[in-house]
Amino acid sequence: MLGLWIALAVVALVAIAFVIGFNRLVRLRNEVDTGWSNIDVQLKRRADLIPNLVEAVKGYAAHESGVFEAITAARTALIGAGTPAAAGQANDVLTAAVGKLFAVAEAYPDLKASQNFLRLQGDLTDTEDKISAARRYYNATVMRYNTKIQSFPGLLYAGALGFKPREFFAADADAHALPQVDLTPG
Amino acid sequence: MTLQEQIRSNRWHSVVLIGGFVVVIAILAGLLAVALNVWIGAFALAGASVYAVVGVASSRNMVSSLTGAHELPAEQMRPLQRLVENVSIAAGLAVTPEVRIVDDSAPNAFATGLTPGNSFVGVTTGLLQTMPKRELEAVIAHEISHVRNRDTRLMTLAVVFAGVIALVADIALRTMVYGGGRSKNRGGPIVIVIAIVGFILAPIAAMLLRMSLSRRREYLADATAAEITNDPEGMAMALRRLELDTTTVRQADSSVAHLWIESPTSRVSDGPTGSSALAGLFDTHPPLQSRIEALEQAGGFQLPPDLSPDRPFIETADEPSPQ
Repeated sequence: MLGLWIALAVVALVAIAFVIGFNRLVRLRNEVDTGWSNIDVQLKRRADLIPNLVEAVKGYAAHESGVFEAITAARTALIGAGTPAAAGQANDVLTAAVGKLFAVAEAYPDLKASQNFLRLQGDLTDTEDKISAARRYYNATVMRYNTKIQSFPGLLYAGALGFKPREFFAADADAHALPQVDLTPG
Repeated sequence: MTLQEQIRSNRWHSVVLIGGFVVVIAILAGLLAVALNVWIGAFALAGASVYAVVGVASSRNMVSSLTGAHELPAEQMRPLQRLVENVSIAAGLAVTPEVRIVDDSAPNAFATGLTPGNSFVGVTTGLLQTMPKRELEAVIAHEISHVRNRDTRLMTLAVVFAGVIALVADIALRTMVYGGGRSKNRGGPIVIVIAIVGFILAPIAAMLLRMSLSRRREYLADATAAEITNDPEGMAMALRRLELDTTTVRQADSSVAHLWIESPTSRVSDGPTGSSALAGLFDTHPPLQSRIEALEQAGGFQLPPDLSPDRPFIETADEPSPQ
């Protein structure tokens, strides 16, 4: 009789632990989703600003077509990016292209004095700040979520219940600084 | 301890402290019921509940008028508003709290509100004139942490509870001491003595609980802010700058002292600990030095005793940030 009660208690405890663990996983996954939609909002806002910026600069420096093409291509790649990692990469490419555009703008005093350009520059800088803020939150939640489903006891049931590990948004700034080793001959 | 562990342990301590509040209120009502009669006990409990609800509901407007925080035209607030937006996004808040300004030359900041949606962050003009962007961001992150962790709600509850306990205990004490002859005492003299001692000790205990709750929350908010900005050193530098500053907030009403990032009332406790262990019990904030040490330990760095001079936020606000 006593053995039966102990067995029942153990089953009940395991069930409670499972419910708590499952609910925590759901909460963490929702946090990851929220974090991603925060990034998405800012990426869209950024993509919307780019054409205006290109137009503003074209009015003063129409012949810098290489820069415009690069920036438009980067924007298209960002809009088309399907996964967080891809979006992160496209976002970095776009950041570099926008940086180049601002560098080009340095050579045109009239452009630099234009109110419209200054406002766009301010808005873009702000959006970039917001993207990196949203990235910090998103990556932190992905880290927590992934740790939870890859460690005991989550790993016992997370996979079976459809909790898949999530991708980080863009690699660390440090990772980009790593030297690229080119092994192709010639 | 890592930042995560610190957050967890602080949270656990806070739960214990809130539990203490509930127990004290229940004991007070119970003592009244036993010493005088059940109806007085029930009446005290009901009255205390109503007072607590009204106090909590009106807290936001109360804080606003007690601190003199006000809004500025949107154009002037733009750079600060953006900073608060960015920190809120990094903290994962769905809504950005409002920003309000307190006209005061002492650098300080606070946050209040029951939910993130109706919260606001108040900063003094002195803070904008002293802190460079990196440190201001840390201070804002500290306040946003209070909002995100629901510290603002918790502290509002704690303050109102402490006030309610003090009031109930005071009225009960007077009723028993001065009105003892008229009302019929049900318990013996021993119960009366226990009750009187209880009514004297309860407000003191409530006060101590409120203060220690506030102190715990400061460490937690420092740790969370360091995590949000990913910059424990920036947070420590901001605290060091507050420590080196000697001005105090003029409108330092003690009832809202717990709200500020740095205690606005007493400057004595900001030195290294050791003035008096007992005196520390009544502080709303831990000494800045031990808050800096906690960050140094968690972040694994050592802050120099002096800060290099830097341009305050208000001067650099209009420039685009370096790419």
